[in-house]
Amino acid sequence: MTDPGPDSSAPRRAVLPRSSPKLVTGLALITAIILFGVTGPLFAGDPDAINDIGLTPPGGGHVLGTTQMGQDVLAQIAYATRGSLYIGVLVGVMATVLSALFGIVGSYAGGVVDEAFSLFSNVMLVIPGLPLVIVISAFVPPEQRGAWTIAVVLAITGWAGSARVLRAQTLTLRNREYVLAARVAGEPAWRIITVEILPNLLPLLASQFVFSVIAAILSEAGLSFLGLGASNSSTLGTMLYYAQNGFALQRGAWWWFAPPGLIIALFGCGLALINFSIDEITNPKLRAVPRRIRRPRREPAPVGRPSQDVVVSVRNLSVTYGNTVRAVKDVSLEVRRGEILGLAGESGSGKTTLAYAINRLHRPPAEVTAGSVTFHHRDGGDTDMLALPSGELRAFRWSQMSVVFQGAMNSLNPVMTIRAQLEDVLTTHRPQLSRSDRRARCARALELVGVDPARLRSYPHELSGGMRQRVMIAMAMLLDPQVMIMDEPTSALDVVVQRGILREILRLRDELGFGIVLITHDLPLLLEVSDRIAVMLGGEIVECAAAEEILARPRHPYTRRLLESFPSLTGERGAFVRTGEATGGAR
Amino acid sequence: MRYYLRKFGFYLAALWAAVTLNFFIPRMMPGDPVSILMAKLQQRGGSVNPEARRAYELLLGTDTGEPLTKQYLSYLGNMLHGDFGISVSAYPVPVSEVIATSLPWTVVLVGIATVLSVLVGAGLGMVVGWRRGTWLDSLVPATTVLAAVPYFWLALVLVAVFGSALGWFPLIGGYDVDFTPGWNLDFLGSAVHHGILPALTIVISSVGGWLLGLRNMMVSTLSEDYVLTATAKGLPNRRVMIWYAARNAALPSIAGFAISLGFVVAGSIVTEQVFSYPGIGSKLLEAVQNNDYALMQGIFLVTTVAVLGANLVVDLLYGVIDPRTRAGGNA
Repeated sequence: MTDPGPDSSAPRRAVLPRSSPKLVTGLALITAIILFGVTGPLFAGDPDAINDIGLTPPGGGHVLGTTQMGQDVLAQIAYATRGSLYIGVLVGVMATVLSALFGIVGSYAGGVVDEAFSLFSNVMLVIPGLPLVIVISAFVPPEQRGAWTIAVVLAITGWAGSARVLRAQTLTLRNREYVLAARVAGEPAWRIITVEILPNLLPLLASQFVFSVIAAILSEAGLSFLGLGASNSSTLGTMLYYAQNGFALQRGAWWWFAPPGLIIALFGCGLALINFSIDEITNPKLRAVPRRIRRPRREPAPVGRPSQDVVVSVRNLSVTYGNTVRAVKDVSLEVRRGEILGLAGESGSGKTTLAYAINRLHRPPAEVTAGSVTFHHRDGGDTDMLALPSGELRAFRWSQMSVVFQGAMNSLNPVMTIRAQLEDVLTTHRPQLSRSDRRARCARALELVGVDPARLRSYPHELSGGMRQRVMIAMAMLLDPQVMIMDEPTSALDVVVQRGILREILRLRDELGFGIVLITHDLPLLLEVSDRIAVMLGGEIVECAAAEEILARPRHPYTRRLLESFPSLTGERGAFVRTGEATGGAR
Repeated sequence: MRYYLRKFGFYLAALWAAVTLNFFIPRMMPGDPVSILMAKLQQRGGSVNPEARRAYELLLGTDTGEPLTKQYLSYLGNMLHGDFGISVSAYPVPVSEVIATSLPWTVVLVGIATVLSVLVGAGLGMVVGWRRGTWLDSLVPATTVLAAVPYFWLALVLVAVFGSALGWFPLIGGYDVDFTPGWNLDFLGSAVHHGILPALTIVISSVGGWLLGLRNMMVSTLSEDYVLTATAKGLPNRRVMIWYAARNAALPSIAGFAISLGFVVAGSIVTEQVFSYPGIGSKLLEAVQNNDYALMQGIFLVTTVAVLGANLVVDLLYGVIDPRTRAGGNA
């Protein structure tokens, strides 16, 4: 129950040995408490032996002191821990079986059964558990209230949460290929559930079991503390009940009431720590990433303006991920005013990392280790991007250089309207604008990219993919920046929409005159639209030349290989975007 | 619109389930609660008129030979009128009156404690998630320890330290009996003074869950494209953190509110017992100890209605916060 299970996937098993201090602490706590509960009663004396040294503080013959009746607290705790663990495991098993029944079977069956099971679980979930348990146990006469009765009541009131989690997971599993294949092959449902689905749910079942155990121990303790626990059984809760009724607190007998609670707390904490480490293993995002704050080595100082039409100069830039992977190696590059600079290369070649580093959008563990990025303003004056303090960097971003991101489907905040997301650019960068001016500018920006300004009131999920991408482009142009970085701006869209948007970008570039860094793996597209193309391979720019030059006389072998992999390039289809004849005016 | 209708329908179903459970539990359990109740009542010198006896029979079930469906319908009728019978432990006060005097204590205590815990927990979780990789990360395991501590034990420790040892706060009760309950400063001041330790217990025990939930979601949300976009837009850090990251990260926590509230309600019942707080939790236990089944069932129902109501409010709020849930109606 402490292990994610023998059926956990291979990569997880490979990660598990890299144990964190949290996991070790958690495992040690749990092991110690279970050992204590299982073996403790064998060594401890009679927990109920009464003698006349009531309420002795710890020390001497009684390591943890005595109760009001002179019983040895340590012996009582040993038996109580065993009792609590027993009930916890009983409830854990029953609740897990119930939740599996309602969660897995229901969602596998689907249809009315699923609806009914799911409604039932949700109803059980919102009805407050402990009051229900109290009412049920109050109706059972004390002499019939054994550990099993309590366990059954706790299981009945405690399975619903896990059932919901299991249902969600089963729903995703039942549509996997291997499950569908087994169905097509005509395997019976019980076999598909036990052979194909259950093994994949084991890690989840294990963690739900762990949660039911700790919840049961806590609830049982609460119930016993209220005097409603299992009669003639000793648990940590009953100990606390007697301590409370023996006025342990008022008499300052901390050794009587503190240890039972502490054991429950440490047990819960141990399970939480283990669960925490399992979470971190399955979801690497949650792992702690140390923030490195290191100034880049500035060997090449920021450069002066090479010529009037250069807007960004990148010199010998290197970006590494956590000291080991050099994603961008010693890259030098210039972006000119009003040009489209294509950045080509396969995925992992460092295109995106390079583009982000220009605007300092790279995140730890990525860091710039060498080089310089200089921005040359339209009206004179240069900015050393890597030295810009954070406040000025924020002011610079978007107003001089905006970005349209890869997979723009998710670039818009799902819980804010389009208007709010456009307007917050203006409220941040142009605070002097009046409300009506802001609105007018946002509406105009949308019109510019061919989106109905009525869409300002919409939320992102109400727009199609192409429309969202147009909104992003409108947003990128809102402040009339000098450079726009576009990272695969159209690759998630279908071809017709893609071409329509690219035509729009070209038109706007001609109209407004911003420079574009266009990142894509789609070389034919770059050859059509860009003025110059830089080809990246393994973090380096292997070739940078005018688009026609690249097409006619590629110098680097990798460029040639890239060109050869697109057979259609030998034909005469290059006019596709610029004339738009094949798209028939489709947007 | 369909979203709201579905929610209302669901809570109606849950309410019906709770009322029905309440009807069947005493009938399925061993023992004859009505006779116990009658005996108790006579002990206290209460006269048993046929009308009162009938109300108890409907509530608790006894072998009167009447068909179950008829009993059930009459029972539903009584529930609709708020007629839960007469309390034995507070004879001859009706159950509804006992509940009416104790409910406000619990609602105010649990309400304020929950709101505080959500604000503090979610706020801390937001900052800890945002500043991941700094010393703040060490807060996370610390709060899981707090979350694992049993409510009543924490209450006992708090009483021992701040009540007995330091004498800063009163040990038990909801207000100083020297003052008359009402809208006067003395009484309110003493109620607040008495409420601090119970509220602190609830806040400390439940704050960890909110912190952890929001922190983990925050970390996941920070790698979303829209957060990167917001950073690239040059928005102030606070705006990115609250409006782009936290607003999205909070959605699962809000959706899981029902479960958290269940824990808080359970914890507050036990906490009230430790503090002898004059709320509904203490009354429930008093009812249990005195075999006051009518009061017990009334309290269970009222608690359920309150919890369902709170969940409904949160669900309606969720519809406002996440526009995607409303989409069903527009499409």
